[in-house]
Amino acid sequence: MITRPTTDALIVDCCRELTDAILPGLTDETLRLRLVMTETVLRNAAVRAAHEIAWMREETAALVAYAAAVAARHPSEPLRAAMTTVEASAAASLHLADVVDRYEKAGQAFEKALTAAQGAGSADLIAQARELLRDRVEIEKRVMATYTIVGR
Amino acid sequence: MDALGPRFERFLAAVEPAREGRVVACEAITGGYSRISARARVRWRDGVEETFILRGDPPPGSGVFTSDRDAEAELLGALPAATSVSTPRVRWYDGSGEHLGSKAIVMDCAPAVSLQDEMARAQDIGPLTDLFIDTFAAVHATPLDRLPARMPHPPDWLSYLDGVLAGYDRIAGEHPGSAPVLGYVTWWARTHKPPPVPLGLVHGDCNPTNVLVGPSGPPLVIDWEFARIGDPREDLGYYTQSPVQPNVYWADPERFLDRYRAATGLTQEQVNPQTVDYFLIIGMAALLEQLLTAAAAIGAAERPGILAPYLINAISHQHDMFLAICDRLS
Repeated sequence: MITRPTTDALIVDCCRELTDAILPGLTDETLRLRLVMTETVLRNAAVRAAHEIAWMREETAALVAYAAAVAARHPSEPLRAAMTTVEASAAASLHLADVVDRYEKAGQAFEKALTAAQGAGSADLIAQARELLRDRVEIEKRVMATYTIVGR
Repeated sequence: MDALGPRFERFLAAVEPAREGRVVACEAITGGYSRISARARVRWRDGVEETFILRGDPPPGSGVFTSDRDAEAELLGALPAATSVSTPRVRWYDGSGEHLGSKAIVMDCAPAVSLQDEMARAQDIGPLTDLFIDTFAAVHATPLDRLPARMPHPPDWLSYLDGVLAGYDRIAGEHPGSAPVLGYVTWWARTHKPPPVPLGLVHGDCNPTNVLVGPSGPPLVIDWEFARIGDPREDLGYYTQSPVQPNVYWADPERFLDRYRAATGLTQEQVNPQTVDYFLIIGMAALLEQLLTAAAAIGAAERPGILAPYLINAISHQHDMFLAICDRLS
């Protein structure tokens, strides 16, 4: 396949076309607003295209490790079942749909693990979970890029 | 004049046949994220001109935020007798959408500007801040037994709060991308419940753009689509995240809350920066669910429009805010 420009570079180029060439020619205020929103969505998509598979795989590994650590100290049937579901998913595939599927299942195992840690009152495990969530939100903020509310 | 103008003229012929109203101008009001709004000027047969606001549902399957137009129309009908707060006078309601293309409320257009615009122009925002606070304190003081029976009336404060938190459990179950954050935040909220206050009428979109002020008369409170009976501190929490400047809460939080406590009789223990933070989480539950539902619909045959992917960032923003609140208040 043609590797360069990369997907994110292609999307960013479309953003420039929208902003520099098309937006100045629009006079309808509603259409201008929709175009600005569209450009923001594309800009966010460019960030995701460049990194999302790596980000999700890294976080999946961390979520599964957390679930295993909780299961070792506070075993529960819902947690065991959730971990079994993760293990049954396609770990090696780099196709986006497979990566997303495994990432969501790891998130569900994490949630069951957090419930077990909360139920047991394990402050250290709850604090670890908070750190993982901090990392997750930092990634989401990187995707948001230069997002500002428009139209209100 | 777009297609709505002729539709409105036919609607007027049906509801006011003797007055022979002609729509001489009709323009969309841009900027809202939920309803479709338009301003229409009508000339009656006797030469009198009036201006109306039309507030209708977007086409089915489009948009992000949904609300019940019947409930809003009924509430607007009940509020004049229920509260000291002024609201726009409802003139007609197309409850079937037969005439206006979708269910739509037709209201008098007040000769007024938004309080937000006035604040942006003011040298001293103190008096306008007080007006804003007093207006919403009056909303919150509305006797609940005068509100429409169709509006859910929670039996007590704890049941209401537990219901919202159970709703977050359900949202987490339906939206796996948000489940880890919501699971953590909901657990935290269950273990850090603030002191109760009497349930009140919550506006649901509390910000100065929804207060209109004119050269005379009381302020008008508009956009009641998300109103409900709940914890009035939800409105305060909701306003803290408004990005529209100036945000008069953040200009001076202590002054803001002093004024609100004085207007409502609530205590420092009940109303303080921490409880306001807490009720941002509670007050955002319904809107966050609508954001997540719209995001899940992207890619379906009936796409929800560009607002849905655009507001995915708002979901991330909520995640960030909620976790920061948990950290600050723990």
